[in-house]
Order: sequence, then structure tokens, then C-alpha cells
Amino acid sequence: MEPLQTLRKRKCKKKVSDVSESLDSEKSLKLTKREVGDGAPAEKDNLESKHEDHKENNFLREPCSLKVEVDVVFIIIVILGFATRLYNLANPHYIVFDELHYGRYVSLYTKGVFFFDAHPPLGKQLLYWAGKLAGYDGNFTFDRIGTPYSEHVPVTALRMVPAICGSLLIGVIYQLMQVVSLHPWTAALAALLVLFENSFLTQSRFILLESIQILFGLWGILCILKSTRNTSWLSVVWLCFGAISLGCCFSVKYSGLYTYFLGIFLVGRQMWLRINEVKSVLRLTFSIVWRGMILIIIPWSLYVGVFYVHLALLPKAGPHDSVMTSAFQASLEGGLASITRGQPLHVAHGSQITLRHSHGRTCWLHSHAHVYPVKYADGRGSSHQQQVSCYSFKDVNNWWIVKRPDESSLTVSSPPDAIKHGEVVQLVHGLTTRALNSHDVAAPVSPQSQEVSCYINYNVSMPAQNLWRVEIVNRATDLDTWDSIRSLVRLIHVDSGSALRYSGRQLPAWGFHQHEVVADKVVTHQDTVWNVEEHRYSKSEDKKERERELVAAEMIPTAATHLSFWAKFWELQYKMWSHSGDAPLGHMFASEPLDWPVLHRSIAYWLSPHSNAQVHLIGNLVTWYAGTLSVFIYGTLLAVYAIRMRRNISDLSPIVSKKFYDAGFIFFLGYWLNYLPFFFMDRTLFLHHYLPAYIFKILLLSFVVDHVIFILHMRERTKALTHIFTFFVVVWLAYVVLTFKKFCVLNYGNTDLTESDLMSLRWKDTWDFILHKKN
Amino acid sequence: MPNKSKCTAKFPNVKIWWITFGIICGATFLTRFYKVLEPDHVCWDETHFGKMASWYINRTFFFDVHPPLGKMLIALSGKLTGYDGNFPFDKPGDKYDGARYEGMRIFCATLGALIIPLTFLTLWEMTKSIDSTLIGTMLLLLDVGFLTLNRYILLDPILLFFMTCSMYGAFKVRSLTETGTPPFAPHMLCWQFFLGASLACTMSVKFVGLFIVLFVGFRTIADLWNVLGDLTKPVSLTLKHLIGRSITLILWPIILYVFFFWIHLTILSKSGSGDGFYSSGFQARLQGNSLNNASAPRVLAYGATITLKNHRTGGGYLHSHQHLYPQGVGARQQQITTYTHKDENNKWIIKPYDRESVSGVVLVRSGDLVRLTHIPTGRNLHSHREKAPQTTKFMQVTGYGEDGIGDANDVWKIIVSNGKDDDEILTVRSKLVFVHYLQSCVLTTTSKQLPKWGFEQQEVACNPNLRDPNALWNIEDNVFDGLPKMSFEVYASGFIERLVESHAVMLQGNSGLKPKEGEVTSQPWQWPINYRGQYFSGNAHRVYLLGNPVIWWTNLAFLLLFFFIYIINCVREKRAEAFGGTVPANENRSLLNAAGWCFVGWALHYVPFWAMGRILYFHHYFPALIFSSMLTGILTEYLLRSVQSFLSPELGRAIYHSTLGVIIAVTVYSFYLFSPLAYGMTGASQDDNSTMSSLRWLESWEF
Repeated sequence: MEPLQTLRKRKCKKKVSDVSESLDSEKSLKLTKREVGDGAPAEKDNLESKHEDHKENNFLREPCSLKVEVDVVFIIIVILGFATRLYNLANPHYIVFDELHYGRYVSLYTKGVFFFDAHPPLGKQLLYWAGKLAGYDGNFTFDRIGTPYSEHVPVTALRMVPAICGSLLIGVIYQLMQVVSLHPWTAALAALLVLFENSFLTQSRFILLESIQILFGLWGILCILKSTRNTSWLSVVWLCFGAISLGCCFSVKYSGLYTYFLGIFLVGRQMWLRINEVKSVLRLTFSIVWRGMILIIIPWSLYVGVFYVHLALLPKAGPHDSVMTSAFQASLEGGLASITRGQPLHVAHGSQITLRHSHGRTCWLHSHAHVYPVKYADGRGSSHQQQVSCYSFKDVNNWWIVKRPDESSLTVSSPPDAIKHGEVVQLVHGLTTRALNSHDVAAPVSPQSQEVSCYINYNVSMPAQNLWRVEIVNRATDLDTWDSIRSLVRLIHVDSGSALRYSGRQLPAWGFHQHEVVADKVVTHQDTVWNVEEHRYSKSEDKKERERELVAAEMIPTAATHLSFWAKFWELQYKMWSHSGDAPLGHMFASEPLDWPVLHRSIAYWLSPHSNAQVHLIGNLVTWYAGTLSVFIYGTLLAVYAIRMRRNISDLSPIVSKKFYDAGFIFFLGYWLNYLPFFFMDRTLFLHHYLPAYIFKILLLSFVVDHVIFILHMRERTKALTHIFTFFVVVWLAYVVLTFKKFCVLNYGNTDLTESDLMSLRWKDTWDFILHKKN
Repeated sequence: MPNKSKCTAKFPNVKIWWITFGIICGATFLTRFYKVLEPDHVCWDETHFGKMASWYINRTFFFDVHPPLGKMLIALSGKLTGYDGNFPFDKPGDKYDGARYEGMRIFCATLGALIIPLTFLTLWEMTKSIDSTLIGTMLLLLDVGFLTLNRYILLDPILLFFMTCSMYGAFKVRSLTETGTPPFAPHMLCWQFFLGASLACTMSVKFVGLFIVLFVGFRTIADLWNVLGDLTKPVSLTLKHLIGRSITLILWPIILYVFFFWIHLTILSKSGSGDGFYSSGFQARLQGNSLNNASAPRVLAYGATITLKNHRTGGGYLHSHQHLYPQGVGARQQQITTYTHKDENNKWIIKPYDRESVSGVVLVRSGDLVRLTHIPTGRNLHSHREKAPQTTKFMQVTGYGEDGIGDANDVWKIIVSNGKDDDEILTVRSKLVFVHYLQSCVLTTTSKQLPKWGFEQQEVACNPNLRDPNALWNIEDNVFDGLPKMSFEVYASGFIERLVESHAVMLQGNSGLKPKEGEVTSQPWQWPINYRGQYFSGNAHRVYLLGNPVIWWTNLAFLLLFFFIYIINCVREKRAEAFGGTVPANENRSLLNAAGWCFVGWALHYVPFWAMGRILYFHHYFPALIFSSMLTGILTEYLLRSVQSFLSPELGRAIYHSTLGVIIAVTVYSFYLFSPLAYGMTGASQDDNSTMSSLRWLESWEF
């Protein structure tokens, strides 16, 4: 009993928390008997008495011997990790799968051209820095998967970022398992399983973001665990590290938020346990508050910072501009700014304007000399007046002239007669000089709303109703003037009280498939908001002259207008939030969340143009199934222990049960947190979305192995089985390695495969490998 | 009342209990049946459910996304009160003009009214406190939105009624379990069967009933957990409880649920508007459908004239016609489409790939190479490397050749899905895949409509992804003289198959209810804050579904409040355990526990809507509202008691009762103010001086 007594003494002296103590006590015990089965300390006297002498001797020598041994295993595993991940990295020298997107973004970063993506930018920025260090000039066009890279693209450098992350991940896992106070052999098992996992290997070898995200996530969890096991100032330091890392995690991909929630949960649980440990209310509140602050402020300011860098790196206008509002576009160099520079601010009587639909789809209010058909396909009649639509491209027919109803001239007086909030105007179409009109006729595609047209006087009993009241949505006072770009306006039809609205539907062929514009009773909808984009004052009264003016609108490149970082940030957040998934529905290699635990589908990443060498994202089936099984085993054990505890039967010693629940909170919860949300996502999903959850599953698997060995070891009767089980685990591990070796041709993509090779790899009918047709 | 004795035990004055209950019942009756027959035109969704009731009465088959019980009950009430099923229910606002709608509406209003006394009983069962019970029930009783929703021919009153029955049953069972009633005592079993039946009924009205099933599931687990934790009792007691509940709460509801579907499928025996959604085998069961009483050979042989139906829900027949694809849309060859109606142009003849005809009877087998020739035009089904008209990733499918003579691109490999090579091909039964031999793509339909040049029929294309779920076809008509004919009865689906198919179709229908781009849809965040209502009836007699804002906003505040109170209480208890201190009173604890269950119920009925992709409506919030109102009732008493405990007994009691009085008065007054929303507003809608416009507290309200 010697070691335990020493521990107890230590406990009296220092205030070491239970958990760290258990850590110590375990280490001391483990060292006494270095065998795989000894996963945890046994508190029962009969077990311990046997090894008492050993322990006493070892305990004195222990610190140095422990350190050396751990480091050797650790170093070997990490070196193996680097070796597998970095081997032959530049091969295949072609664009593989999503490298298409990320490579394109790296090019755009290098050139400083603004782009829009639904994922946060940190991962792409890391790739960009790597590319910059290697001297990439950004001039390669990533046009489609399978295009060979030119020699100007530093493929190795770009692929190095995820590869290094994927290798470090293995070391982090080894450390993490030890922090959860598992036996070093269990930690080694977990690290080996990740090392020999084909899916992580593929994902780490190409320009993809998952391995970066997973590394940050697990490192964050590791730091937070270290923090919860310390009470001194070290706790603060580790928590800060953890917060930074988790912040990075969800700045790479939003699915990193689930790991962040897990981190919050772990700290929350620590605080919950402290409630009945700390007597002083003040100290308790203090420790809760500062932890909360660290966990919230650091990650989110990091997130904002990443966006600051993002916007600072991308000052130039580019291909994705049209997603953003006019104000945002005007703040970029070139692009819209070049058009709007120097244009007057206040919209006045006689202004020539283009009206942009502000939120959602980019289009401009448009009209052309064609009329609505007399009868629609469903038999309803129309007004047969000039069509008005929303057109997604810049066009001379997007120009309108603002006119006060009581003035006849169309030129701007001096000083300009500015339009204010609440005033009534007419909008005259620039080229056809007909006024924007609405009346009690059902709209062509949305019959519940009123039709909008440009009024043609047919001399029938249908008077013009062409008065519109200007309501400025983002006004400060009711006296605000209507400004170009800045003001968001709603145009209210005076006769009916309806608002001019983009309905979201497309007109049929007679309307050239442009988008329908209606007047709708529901005034507050966001599709009723418009803003003036291009704007200039009419100078000439003559119609011909004016037309020439409109057609000859010229673009002069100039400097950007200023928009504050926060305005840009929030707009970008809003657009990212409301942006619908970009992957097309029904992708050939898409899969459902339910398919993932059984590895129903693989994803083909690349096929060599010359041979049948190919790259697939495919898991190691042996590990994969064992992982799924371990989730069931853990769930069952959880229920069984809970039910038996309820009947006051405790099967496990307090330390072991603490470890059991600890692992549960981290691995089991981590798995479900990263997996379940995908069931509720309404978009195309792929196997690689499962990887953040899968890493937790592997950890859980190692823990379950450890736990089973412990249970077997605990009872006298089943003790002999320990060796059999250990043997079984070793055989299984060998099988894992063999499978890895068999499938790694699909990760490196450097071997030509014959049809029979592929058939022997096709363990499931649902895996689709690709074969060139024989000529 | 079943447990008078318990009332007396806990609450000294039984009289007061009965008087309160009486007043609530009376008020319910008055509010629910006042002007119940107005307006005498079709309101809002009555147009759907009235129509469906008519179909039940006429026994014609239709398709709907909801399970059948609610509509069957409406139909039954209509039938019993003399509705003949002939009113068209075309659109909201149609005058009834003598159609006997009164029975159906009064039936729905009655079920809607019964919710209130049931809630009263449930709350009493949960708390055994008359104050909480009274306030909670009153909030529901005086909510204008709840009143409006429960007075028309809709599924919601029926759903909510069965839901409250389940709640009542669940808490009744809890009380019985807590008092130690043995698991198989008749009393216990009766209540459990009642609970099981209510659950089955709720599920059979709308699928949102699933949430109450979950709620009862949690309740049952909690019950069993408590029984298990009682160390004085053996484990076998828990097992007995588990067995009892598995039978009454799982097996029994499933039997009932299936039974309701059996009635549904038996009643609807005639062909009607819903046929096209179902498979050939299903249609063979419907009288008046062309597949009913027809006969055809059992297997497919070369030379047979066939029609091919796409196996997707609502899939049409493979179709072709004289017209060509227009200029610029792939090759200018004959169009191939799917068409949902039966037509001569759906007929094809099946031939081997290399011969025009075979001698004798040669069966087509899975894996054979075949050609399909369109009988009226003599062109072969053909595909080639050209983009399909709408789905440009797919290849175009055309009719090619002259009198059956085409080229190598006309060859298709016919494969029975999930079958072996050389399987015979069965009429109706076999699911077939047609793989293009040269391009290796599958014949599929994309359910996209072609423009006018394609007569708005659906696009057929060839998908290079062989795993397309829409690429399954089955043979429907099979005309061939060489083989003995069999009656279609053989192919007709059995009950279980039809049950499964109905569910698949409903599921698909439900997930197909997606909001279109630009459409105004109600969103879950708007509901608890009563952001926007729903028009029930326009024009002269305007009815607007909107919650009583006083009640709704109080509910919202109390939900937040509960959250904090609960956390604070947990922390206090935990600290009291460790360091000693005042432990909260037992009574307050049981109130908080009851409030906790209400919170769980509310969350279960509200949170899942955030994750739903389908189109949502304001009235989806009302099941959650019941829980939320109950929570407010309980928490009010909890707060009042907490305040009272700080004050001297006299002052405390005075404040307690006066606050209670004020709450009741304010609620009643707000009901009075907003009641025109439910009972109908008359007068001009744009009139700014009307009394209602002063009540427009939020700009988004549209009355």
C-alpha cells in the first residue's frame, strides 16, 4: 500500500483535484506491470498485495523510465504519420476533387480579387500563406477536376498544409488519450488506428480542409481537458490555448462549431462539479465568469479577425461581386465602384437610375418594348401592356427616369429637386418612355398578386395608375432624402397600397425567362426592397439625345468608396447564412448520413487520364465496422451501468467509473454532436462530412477495447480471458494494417490497376470504382 | 370525477373544486359555440378537409399527406348529420347555400371545446393545486387564436383533442404509479389502454402526433426509472411495469393505427383523383380503374405490346408522339416523354436486339439485350451523346429509325432490379432497369416539365449514374396472345403492401411540400412572439387567426423565466446539499417538477420545426401553446408563493389573492378586446377609425 499512502500525503499538502490524482496514481500503478491488460488501477487489496514489492521498487525509478518509453512510442508514431502523409505528395500532379475550389480561392487570394464562399476563410488563408511562401503567382486557372498542374503551381507546398495537419493529428490523439488517463498502449492503439485509416490519409494528402479542421478541434479539446485537470494558473493558459484552437476550428469550416460546443460542454461540466466543491460564492462566480469570457470572447474575436484579414486581402472586384449589395460592391476596387464614382448622391426629379433588387437574387428592374400576351396558358387574361421584369444582367433597358407627377420636363433643375421619404413619384422607362404602372389584373405567374406593367394607353376603361410612394426603409428620420446606393426603398403603389416586389418566379418564354415583378399586398417582405445603383442626372430634354445618353453610358475605373469593416462583415455573414448549398443535388457520389456508419459509398476523387490509377476517399473497413460496433457497446454499457447503479450495485470502482464517464462525455458525445446535425441538413452531403465525427469514434473504439480488457481483468474468473482478448486485438490490428496496405493504392494513386485488381478491392457492391474503357 | 376521495384528501373544499370546474366548462361552452355557424361560407383549409370528407362519403380514392383518422371522423360526423357529399368546397369564401355543413363544424367545435376541461383535469393531475390549474386553463380558454383554430372543419381541433387526452392519460398513469398501483391492476390497465388509444388517434390524425408519443415515451421512462429506484421493491416489479406498458403503449396503439388505415383503404374503394400517385398493383384494387378486373399474361415474351410505368411515386407512362425535339435541343428526332394519362401513344413493342421477330414464344429474361419500338410511329427508343433538354448532365432520349429499323444506339439491356440474371420478367411485379448498351446510362425520368413544345409532359433522359432511384419501371399492360392470361387480381397489392405504399407516398408528399422561391412562409421564430397571423375568412365577415397577445407574450416571458428559475434552483439545491442551507419547500419542488414537464412538452412540440425543410404554417405552434400556457399557470403560482414566503402571513395572503384577481381580470379584458378576431369583424377593411385598428399593436398584423 506504499504508493497510495504517499499519494494521500500529497493530497494533504497540495490541493490536487481528484482527477489529476487519479492520473498520478494510475501512472504509478501502470509502471509496476507493463502489460497491455493493465489498463487501470485496481483498488482491491487482493490485486495489489501481489505486486506490492514491485511497485515500491518501481515507484522510485519511475519518472525517467516513463518519460523515455512514452517518447519513443510517440516519436515513432508521429514519424510514421509524417512518412505516410508526406510520401510522394506532388503525385498525382493533377487537380484532385475539391482542390478545384480551394485552388481557385488560393489564386484569388494571391491576386487580391474578392470572392464569395459559404465557408469561413481561415483554412483558405493558411493555404494561401503556404502558396505565397512557395512563390505561387496565382495565374493558374483551376478549370476542372483532372487538369494537370503547370510547373508554376507549388503543388507540394499547397498540399503540405493539410498533410502536416494530418500527421500532427496522430500525435495529438496520442496525447489526448493519455490526458483522459488511459494506458499508453491504448493511446498508441488509437494513434495507430488513425495512422492506418485510409480516409484520413486521402483527406490529408490533397488541398482539402477537413484535416486542418479536425486537428484544430482535437487540439482544442486536448487543451481544454488539460485546463479542467489543473487548478493553478496553468488552467488559464490551457483554456486560452483551447479557446484559440477551437476558434480556429470553426473559422476553417462551420461544422467545427460542434467541437466548439463540446469544449463549452466540458468546461460547463467542470463548473457544475465545482458548485459543491467551492465554498466561497465569490470565488465560484469569478471562476465561472472568467472561463465563460475566455471561451466566448477569444474564439469569436478570432473569427472576426480572420474575416478582417480576409477582407483586407481582397480589395479588388471580381466574379462573385453580384452576390453582394451595391454598397458592398462599390467598396471594392474596380467593378461597380468604377461606374458609381462621381455620380450624384440625391435622387431628384429627372434622375436616370437603375433599380436593383437589394436582397437575394441580383437583378434590376427592367422593361422592354414587348407586351404581355393577351391570354396566358392557363386561360387567364392579361392587360396586354408592356412587360416589366427583373433582369439579372446589366442592360440599357434597366434605366428608369424619376419624375414628379405634376412636372412635365424631364431634366434636372438646378439646384436638383431631391425626392424625400414619403413623396410620390412616377418612374418612366428610359427607352420606351412609358411609366411604371400597376392595376387590378392578376400577375402572369403569381396570380394572387397584381400585375406590374408600363402603361400603354389603349383608350379602354383602364386608367393609368402610375403613382408610387417612396418609402425609405433604412431612414434615420422621416425627412431623409432618397440617396443612390445607400437608401433601401420600397415603392408603394398609391392606388392599391401594394409594394413593388420581385416574386422569385420566372416568366415563360414570352417574357424571355426573366424574373417576374409584381405588386404585392404583403408590404414588409424583404423582396420588396430595392435600391438605386447607377444614377445620373438627365441633362437634355430631347428624347433622342437622352437615348444617346443612356446607351453611351461609359465605365471609368476609379477608386473604391469606403464601407466600414463591420458593415461588410455583417453583410458577408448574412449572405453566407442565407446562401443555399452550392453542390448540385443528385451528385453521383453524394451519400446520406445513414450510409456513413456502414461505409455505403466512397467518393472518387481523381482518375488518371492514362491508366487506371485513381484516388478515392474510402475508409478502412475493418476499423470502420469495429468503430460502429464500439458505439453500440459503449451505449449498452452506459445503460447497464446506469440501471445497476439505480439498484445501488456498483460494478466499477469510483476511479474507473469516473474514467468511463469521462471518456463518454468526450468521445461518445463528440461523436453524436458531430454526426446527428447532418440528419437535419437539407443539402447534398458527402462522406467527408462524417470525418470529424469518425475521429471521435476511433477514440471511443480504443477506449472500449481498454475498458473490456479491464473488466476481464477485474474478475478472478475471467482473468485468463484477458490474454485471449489481447491476442485477438493484436490479430485484429494486424488485419487493420493489411487492409490499409491493400487499399492505400487508392490513396496514393500511383499504381495502375487492372480490372481484377479493382474487383478485388470492391468489397461492397455499392462502391463505384472507375475503369477506362478498353479501346 | 373519478377521484373525489383524493380531492378531499389534498384540497379541503371539494365544492370550490367543482364550482371552478363548472365555471370553466360553462365558459368553454359559451365561447366555443357562440356564432359557431358563422360565417356560412368555406373558411381557409375547410376547402381541403371538406373536400376530403366528401370523397370519403362518395368512397372515391384520393391522396393526402396526412393520415386518415381526422378526415374520416369529419366525414362520419357529416354523414350522420345529413351531409350528402355533393358540395364542391372549391375555394375559401364559397357560400354553403344549403349544404349541411353544420354537423361537421359543430363536431369539430365540440372536440375543440373538450380540450379545455381536459387541460383542467391534466393540470390538476399534475399539480393538485387549484390555482395553477385555474390560471393555466384560463389562459387557453381565453386565447383568441386557440378559439379560432378550434371552431372550423379542420384537423387541428381533432388533433389537439386527442393530444390532450394523451396528456391527461399520461399524468393519470403517473399518479397511479406513484401511489403504488400494481402494474396489472384493472384500474391501471384501463388508464394505460386509454393512453395508448389516445396516442394512436393522435398519430392517425397528423404525423406531428409523433411528438406527443415522444413525450409520453419520456414520461414512461421516468416512471419506470422511479419504480426502479425504489430499493424496497424487487426488480421484477419494474419488469412487470415494462411489460404492461410495452403492450398497452406500443403494441395496442400500433394495432389501432393499422386498423384505422384498414378502414381508410376499405372505405375508399372507388377510383378517384389520387390513383396516379400509386403503383399499378395498388390501382388494381380500385373499382373503376382500368387495371381493375383486367387480365394479362404473367410473364413478358418477345413481341408483346406493353406500356411502361415509371416506378417513382406519381410516375407516368413512357410516351412518344409524332413531334420532334425543336431546333437547338439536342438532335432533331422524335420526342420521348412520360405522360400520366393512358393513351395509345404509350404502347411499345418489345423485340430482341438483332431480329425483327421471333418464332414461337420466347420469354424475355433479365440481362437480355432488347429494343423497344413505339407502335403508333414505328420508331425505336434511342439514346446518344447529346444533352437532355432540361437536365443537361444527362443524355437525350429520342425516337429513332423507321418502322423499327434503327441503329446500334437503340439497344437496351433489360435488368430486373434486385433479381438474378435470366429471371423471368413479370407483369406489374418486376421492377425493371433499362441500361443503354453503348453509352451505359439508365433510362430515367427527371420529373421536370418540358416547355410548350413538349406539351408540358415530363422529361425522359438517360442518366450516366446507374444508381438513379427514378430509373425503375414496371410493365403495366402486357398484350400477347401466345401466353395464358391471368387476372390482375393476382398482381393487386395485399393490405400490408398497400399500407407500406401509402406511407411511402405520404412521406414523399410531405417532403415535397417545399416553399417555392420568393413565397411568403411562416417561420418558427415568428410563432411564439405572435408575429403574424393567418386569414381564415375575408370580405364581409373577417376572421383572423392570431393569438391573444397578452397571453402569448406572457407565455414567452414565463418560458424564459422558467429557464432561469430552474437553473438557479438546481444550483441552490446542489450547494445546499454540500454546505447545508435552506432546501426549497417540497410543494414548490413538485410545482417546479410539473413545470419542467411542461417545458419538455413545449420544447418537443416546437424545436423540431426549426429543422424541418417543409413549408410551415402559424397553426403548427398551437400544440406547443398548450404546454406553454400550462407552464405559465404553474409558474405563476410558484412565483406568487415564493413572494408570499418573504412576507408576513396576512400581507402575503392579501397580495397573493389580489394578484391572482388582477391576472384573471386582465386576461378576461384582453379576451374581450380581441374577441372580434375570432367571432368575425365586419365593416370596411381600410377604415382607420374602426375599433380594431387601435388594437394593431404590431405592424405585421394584417387585420
